[in-house]
Amino acid sequence: VPDDLLLGLKFIFGPSAVPALDLVDQRSVTRVRAPSGRTLYQVLGSSGKLYTCYSSCHFCTCPAFGFSVLQKSESLLCKHILAVYLSQAMGACQELAVSEEQLTNILLAEEEDEG
Amino acid sequence: PGETENSFILCRGGLAERLCRLQNRERSAISFWRHQCISDDKIPSDKSGVLIVRILEIFEECTIQVAICQQLEQSPATLSSEDAVINAEEPILKVLFTRETAAHLKSRPQDVIHIYPPWQKLLLQNADVPVIMNTYFSQKVLLSEHSEAREKTHGLTKMLIRKNIISLAETFRLDDLDDKLHCKSSDDQVPCAPQTHNNGGSKQHPSALSAVNDSLLEMVESQGAVGWREVQVRVVIQRVYCLPAREGYRSHAPGNNPLCATPVTNSHPPNVRLCLLVQDAYGMFSEVQLQSLSSTDDIERYCRRWEGKFCCLAGMKILQRTTRGRALGLFSLIDSLWPPVVPVKVPGQSQDSEMMTTNLPPPSFCYILTVQSGEIHVEVDEEEQISNLYQPPAVHGLKEILRMDGCNERCSFWAQVLYRRQQSKHSVPIDQRETLLFVTDSTLQNAVHGIPKVVAVSVTASCVLSMEIIEALSAGSQLVFFKDALWGNGRIICVERTVLLLQKPLLCSAAGADLSELTGPVRLDELDSTTQANSVCALRGTVVGVNESTAFSWPTCNRCGNGKLELCPQDRELLYCNQCSEVVTTPVLKMQLEVFLSCPSRSQSTVKVKVWHEITLFVLLTMLLFLQTYEVQSVLGKEVGLLNCYVHSVTSHPNCVALEEIVLL
Repeated sequence: VPDDLLLGLKFIFGPSAVPALDLVDQRSVTRVRAPSGRTLYQVLGSSGKLYTCYSSCHFCTCPAFGFSVLQKSESLLCKHILAVYLSQAMGACQELAVSEEQLTNILLAEEEDEG
Repeated sequence: PGETENSFILCRGGLAERLCRLQNRERSAISFWRHQCISDDKIPSDKSGVLIVRILEIFEECTIQVAICQQLEQSPATLSSEDAVINAEEPILKVLFTRETAAHLKSRPQDVIHIYPPWQKLLLQNADVPVIMNTYFSQKVLLSEHSEAREKTHGLTKMLIRKNIISLAETFRLDDLDDKLHCKSSDDQVPCAPQTHNNGGSKQHPSALSAVNDSLLEMVESQGAVGWREVQVRVVIQRVYCLPAREGYRSHAPGNNPLCATPVTNSHPPNVRLCLLVQDAYGMFSEVQLQSLSSTDDIERYCRRWEGKFCCLAGMKILQRTTRGRALGLFSLIDSLWPPVVPVKVPGQSQDSEMMTTNLPPPSFCYILTVQSGEIHVEVDEEEQISNLYQPPAVHGLKEILRMDGCNERCSFWAQVLYRRQQSKHSVPIDQRETLLFVTDSTLQNAVHGIPKVVAVSVTASCVLSMEIIEALSAGSQLVFFKDALWGNGRIICVERTVLLLQKPLLCSAAGADLSELTGPVRLDELDSTTQANSVCALRGTVVGVNESTAFSWPTCNRCGNGKLELCPQDRELLYCNQCSEVVTTPVLKMQLEVFLSCPSRSQSTVKVKVWHEITLFVLLTMLLFLQTYEVQSVLGKEVGLLNCYVHSVTSHPNCVALEEIVLL
């Protein structure tokens, strides 16, 4: 990976760049796939907490996303979403196959936390 | 080491660590360069790799400043003033600046910027304009010769600078119109023209007493929750319906036998409010809750007189601002009225006809308004013509509705009600019980195999039925217009905002001929392997057994149908009816008999039918004979059919169908 690319990431994504790359270094991104083809991404955050990033739309369950991206529109994305994109591009995603029910449970669990 | 952003240790040799090091180096270079720029005002002589651009337009997105620029061959300082004209041939670039750099540059359109290396060029796949990034080393070139020209155009160029911030909340249509945050920005050196949902009303006229407005949103936002004292809003009434009051539908019906044919009588007035779903000239909806109705019979009258007409609202109070996620029922009705049939106004802009549009996203929020302090300030212009904005309910045949896709779709149809059955769960109070109406129309009766002949429509307690309808349904089979029933999950249900009417509304768009006319006697589906519980069917079969333990007969009063007759105190041979307070000279004999039938249409199952109405005379006599003699032989082998039945239950283990004979309305 050339230096220019890394600096380019830094330019566009600002403070999210280094933490996102760190997440990629640590192989923290997992693509979770169910038999129906439905997927989502789970990222192990630095605090040890697992966050879910949706593949069908631009969303992450971390509080930073809700604050900087949705509320203040300060940022395009959070470090977890950037890590997802980078991991995808670099082929550094871990793969996990689950049943439909398990996938649904992951999605529902997120709702409970917020609710 | 020297890491200010993160407090944890990065992976050795990883990308993050690399970027950290590169970033630190870059930062030192930037601050060095900036320092040099300030102290030494001359343009550095080294021209290789410098990108020279003239800014045409600037805006900001998510803290990045985007400048649409023209790439120049040479610095304009070397050109004469005549050449300093925007040449359309020059390549256009999109140059990005970080917030810091932008603050440092303080650029305006027509400024010329020198961008020193290292900068990067990015070519996106589906965009023709290349993007220039990593523009930390940028310097504005001051051109004193052109300063006069710039002063003149300064006023104009101010318009070009806009903060094109469409918040993600808006993109994803999260409802939060109160969010004015996207107007503010820390380096706000640029005049802001926010793209908000504009209410221009704040600068307008001091409100005259009868000033009529046409925007609900404007009224709501300018007058607030307190109320609209002086101004009126002109809206179109799209729908009229009744809602049960929040405390629940109170009615005290004396001793109700759900199987009894007498109508439910309410000794107390129903707790029901008349409501309007209105729409303003901008396409925005609002639900207006009016007064409590003393009698539900007026619903039909209000529907006929008010739907589609204009009305002026005044003295309203905001009860609630509800959203799609919280009021699914209300929004399913709003969705059925979307998109508007005529173009609506677009807020914040002066209205030429090109500006009006029907291409808007469906509403995500709705204000619920109510009347203040008992006075009604709703003036419906009954004389005036129906508004163009009005969307009458679209009537479909039941066959079409059953084939509809989607969930929670509102649908309207005409149907003949054949049978009514009230839910008999005793734990649920009577006024909150569901009623099943079995209906049909010509599209179902004439349909080919595979489509049911009769459908069950579930009427929940939240759907307010007028007394007229209830009495009519008790009296006999009725043709009923179901307005805005809900279709979903293979069922039609009548919920809040559904209205049942006996008369056809004046305006409704029907697809085709009058579907309500049935051209022959009603036919039910015959009992077969697909029959399910809580449905009606017809059956025929042979008696193969009798449930002797449940067989009995009893006399009933021929006048009122009272089944609890007593022996006359005077003459113990005669029967006496308490309810009529008279002797019953010719009692009607009713019986209950549970027979097991063998039905050729569903030969695998044991069919158990509770027969308790008078069927054919022949069978009746036979049954009576059985009851008198209790000889099973007398009924075995007798043919029964065609019986109309209600299916109580269908079980697979054991394979049994339990039915009850019914009489259609």
